[in-house]
Amino acid sequence: MSLAYPSQRVAYPYFVVALLLFVLQVTMGVWVGLHYAVTMPQWLVDLFPFSTARAMHTNLLVLWLLLGFMGSTYFMVPDETERELYSPMLAYVQLALLVATGVTALVGFLFGWTKGKPLLEIPFPLDWMIVVGALIFLFNVGMTMLRARRWTATQGSLLGGLVFLAGMYLFNLPFYRNLSLDWYYWWWVIHLWVEGAWELVAAALTAWLLMKITGVPRELVEKWLYVELGLFLFTGIAGTGHHYYWIGAPKYWLWVGGIFSALEPLPILLMLVDAAHYIRERRGRLNGRLVFTLAVGMAILHVIGAGVWGFAHTLPQINYYTHGSQVTVAHGHIAFFGAYVMLNLMFFYYAVPQLKGMAAYDERRGNVAFWWLTVSMSGMTLAFSVAGVLQSYIERVMGLGYMTAQAQMRFWFGVVVFFGLSLLGGAILAVLDLLTLRPAPAEAKTAGSV
Amino acid sequence: MSGRTARLIFYLGTLTSLVLFLGLTADTHRQIVALTHVDQLSDTVVAGKRVWHKYNCNDCHTILGFGSYYAPDLTKVYWRRGADGIKAVVRNPEKFTTWRKMPRQNVSDQELDQLVSFLKWTSDIENNDWPPQDRKFRGAAGRAVALGVSPGAVLFREKGCFACHSLYGTGGDAGPELTRVGSRLPYERIERVLADPVAVNPEATMPPPGLSPEERNTLAQFLAELK
Repeated sequence: MSLAYPSQRVAYPYFVVALLLFVLQVTMGVWVGLHYAVTMPQWLVDLFPFSTARAMHTNLLVLWLLLGFMGSTYFMVPDETERELYSPMLAYVQLALLVATGVTALVGFLFGWTKGKPLLEIPFPLDWMIVVGALIFLFNVGMTMLRARRWTATQGSLLGGLVFLAGMYLFNLPFYRNLSLDWYYWWWVIHLWVEGAWELVAAALTAWLLMKITGVPRELVEKWLYVELGLFLFTGIAGTGHHYYWIGAPKYWLWVGGIFSALEPLPILLMLVDAAHYIRERRGRLNGRLVFTLAVGMAILHVIGAGVWGFAHTLPQINYYTHGSQVTVAHGHIAFFGAYVMLNLMFFYYAVPQLKGMAAYDERRGNVAFWWLTVSMSGMTLAFSVAGVLQSYIERVMGLGYMTAQAQMRFWFGVVVFFGLSLLGGAILAVLDLLTLRPAPAEAKTAGSV
Repeated sequence: MSGRTARLIFYLGTLTSLVLFLGLTADTHRQIVALTHVDQLSDTVVAGKRVWHKYNCNDCHTILGFGSYYAPDLTKVYWRRGADGIKAVVRNPEKFTTWRKMPRQNVSDQELDQLVSFLKWTSDIENNDWPPQDRKFRGAAGRAVALGVSPGAVLFREKGCFACHSLYGTGGDAGPELTRVGSRLPYERIERVLADPVAVNPEATMPPPGLSPEERNTLAQFLAELK
């Protein structure tokens, strides 16, 4: 099986870099987690503080997920527009630029070169490199679509999401004198990314992939895509207000944030229902069982992580006690994993065999990796959640000191580290598997073909 | 449902939410002037915010509940510890931490002053009384100042003693409760503890409060009278 469009090949180096950064991100995560469970010596804390390690952990996450989205986009767009990419060369230049920026930023963190804003620590001159990289990407994808003149809702959602994503980053560029306004616009980047722009990109990639693997007609998929996107943006945009309860913004945000964000699980549930529906209505046999497993896994974990764990602490009456505690951490981990890590892995397992010219591949290691990762992340999330409930109760309800609460939570951080190490094992297995895929054994090949 | 209805849901949903959000954003800009006391937002406070960013404080501590969760929230730290209390920790973090450490960084005296004025401004942001555990310090601070006929009470607050000790049910729980400390310990012993906690009790984790002899005398007298 060869590629329909040779320019889809540019996706592969994006995937390889993303996967290597994934392993590095989880490794840093284990190191960060260890700080909660054991006592680090003072000299080490002076040399390589928690803050630096955490900046690396989170920036690596954002970098590899975005590189994964970009590679996936480059893989999908030629097929969807029925045209070669505008410029494969530009795609390589863009990758080199972004990787160089990312590596410079990570090394810079080690020497205290930081903007000092959580998740957006990358210092100012490097921000411009990111903007240039994003513009090259949008230009390349946009030109391909423009020249093809074969507009579809899936393309629209993808391009709209990508422009939205790049546009929101601009709110990170100014220096804000007022701390409250600083956080107000920080959420325009963070929230409107993960609960807005990224969802658009994810919905487009998922819709395209489901059409490919199930053969369900485009008309049906794109109709529901519109409804999903409408619900995502309706709940997500005003839902930003659930971050404005305690920052010095007016009281009406307690109402607006509470009501709109309480509705945020609806589009996620709809995605699950739609995916299940398409899989039931599929034409012919599923080509590749693992991608199907990942699609269902993603849909379910997306509901649990973003939906259930998000809803659990989104109402102001509860958030007053859980805000900025380990409850937030639990939600952050399972939501990113369920929605975006799963999406990337699903896409990689769909695209990499084609990029390597395989009709069917041996799925056994991939299957083990999926379950290993999922069980590890679920265990970690539960441990974070127990710690978070303890913290909310001891520190916020009873009013005891911060470290008094942390001492009671320490055992659960040990559990987090255990599952973190396990997650690292799962990540290494998935990455090794994707980089060294083998064709399926003969009997599986006949069974798996349509 | 037809394709037309689906598209209608998309456009209506997105636009409604967007219009509401942008409208409230404009109003938030108007109201935030009073809610965050912009009249107090001096250049020194802004310089302090830059110090806050420079040392990446926010990737261990939260502020307004955002950031990393590795160290205490600092929204109302000025209420808890006062100016001297904050400075003492930043200058010598190793004296104040036990099993979880804070890095030693070379923060200059000028930067420290700026940082404190930033945290003082932050503590007064009208943010619906969050975090809940720090509400009591507004009262404690107020009570200590009301008792302020006694300079010792003012010192107790200013030197950050409330961070670990409590009086009349308000304050921290890392150190002993001190409401009736005068009935347990005589003036001389309190005064010696204030001079050098470890000399009195080798097991003590209390950092030396860094008081001048007069201040020590004043604070010890105040505590000795709590019976």
